[in-house]
Amino acid sequence: MAAEFLEEVSRRSGQRFEGCYHCLSCGGGCPVVEAMDYNPNQIIRMVQRGMREEVLGSKAIWVCVGCFSCLSQCPNRVHIPAMMDTLREMALEAGVRVAEPEILAFHRAFLGEVRRWGRVYELGLVLKYKLSTGKFFEDFSVGFKMMAKGRLQLLPSRIKGEEQIKRIMNGTRRLR
Amino acid sequence: MKVGYYPGCSLHSSAQEMGESFWDLMRPLGVEAIELEDWNCCGSSPAHSTHHGWALNLAMRNLLLAEEQSLKELLVMCPSCFVRLREAARQVQSDPEKGEQVSKALGRPYGGSVRLKFFLEMLRDVGTEQMRSLLKKPLKGIKGALYYGCLLSRPEWITGFDVGPYESFLENLFRTLGGEVAHWGYGRQCCGAHLGITKPGLVSSLVDRIREHARRAGANCIVVFCPLCQVNLEMRGRKEPALPVLYITELLGLAAELPRTTRWLGRHLVDPRPVLREARLL
Repeated sequence: MAAEFLEEVSRRSGQRFEGCYHCLSCGGGCPVVEAMDYNPNQIIRMVQRGMREEVLGSKAIWVCVGCFSCLSQCPNRVHIPAMMDTLREMALEAGVRVAEPEILAFHRAFLGEVRRWGRVYELGLVLKYKLSTGKFFEDFSVGFKMMAKGRLQLLPSRIKGEEQIKRIMNGTRRLR
Repeated sequence: MKVGYYPGCSLHSSAQEMGESFWDLMRPLGVEAIELEDWNCCGSSPAHSTHHGWALNLAMRNLLLAEEQSLKELLVMCPSCFVRLREAARQVQSDPEKGEQVSKALGRPYGGSVRLKFFLEMLRDVGTEQMRSLLKKPLKGIKGALYYGCLLSRPEWITGFDVGPYESFLENLFRTLGGEVAHWGYGRQCCGAHLGITKPGLVSSLVDRIREHARRAGANCIVVFCPLCQVNLEMRGRKEPALPVLYITELLGLAAELPRTTRWLGRHLVDPRPVLREARLL
């Protein structure tokens, strides 16, 4: 079982994890590590140990923003951001309870805009995110200021190739 | 030569000032650009964070369009779009299976004829001399902390930029404009990216630290190259007093006295005009 999980993460992310000797450079340089429940190197160890449920149910995989800071500091160039992409995708496929529902809600709202218009309509994105998380009043004043300054496009623009986009994005509903 | 222009979603909305200032610069620089017709979102973080197929195909549709529209070069404005487009092209060119996937989803294969170019590369190709010839008002009195963010050079094998020489080029560009470079160590610290919306508290602490270090280095503004960094650095942060955050293209426009300058300067959440007035640039 342990080998199976490791093999799948390794194959799908194109990474080998034996190189990691837990020097902690990744977590040391990670700007968002304080919001993670496990350090990036701990996630690697857990993958090696086959701890599928704990890994796919962790906050860490969702908090990673893919800034590549860990990768540029890793002495063995373990591509942690690619591993995180794979783990999020596997978590969604497995239908586990996502430990960072708000971050998933953001991705969902964003991809919903792309699916609908072909581009991100920022105002729609923000409203959709706020409605789905119930945080309607957070950032109300800054949002208002951006509107007043004309920094948010008021109406969406639709592209012509919408059929193509729908074909690409088939299955966005799976994120719901 | 005609080059294609890929603005990306933010430049049509929250980062209009970045797009406008760059667009207005192209003509005086002798670049004839046309916007890629019917471009779509590159997928940015949410696509690659959840489904590799969406990330690949959303990005590749733009490259196929560019090929269809006979554009040999595609100028990309946002570092995140640039990394996504480059990464997709790299995957297709190195993995025949990915190429198959793209032809199946989009109806035809990608021939690989489009060169993706980040807007700063164009400025580098233009050269210091021509840049100097545009200068009408040197940015004397502006001490900028150059904030490169994450994806400007990382990962180097995708962007094709070496961090050291690249940052020296940007420092020289800013000096050519007459600005003074503030020396600090926080130019590559992440702004928090999309967590700016979902984890405002965490991102505020990152922004406070960046502001604190910029101020300690004596900067009177932060100079950015990315639409998302710009928004986070203006919108977040709680403890440290805010610093104006200007796009490099706005500063270029200001130094070249482009007519629409005042319009885009008025759109900032942190008003940069007091600092600019103090430096007698307005």
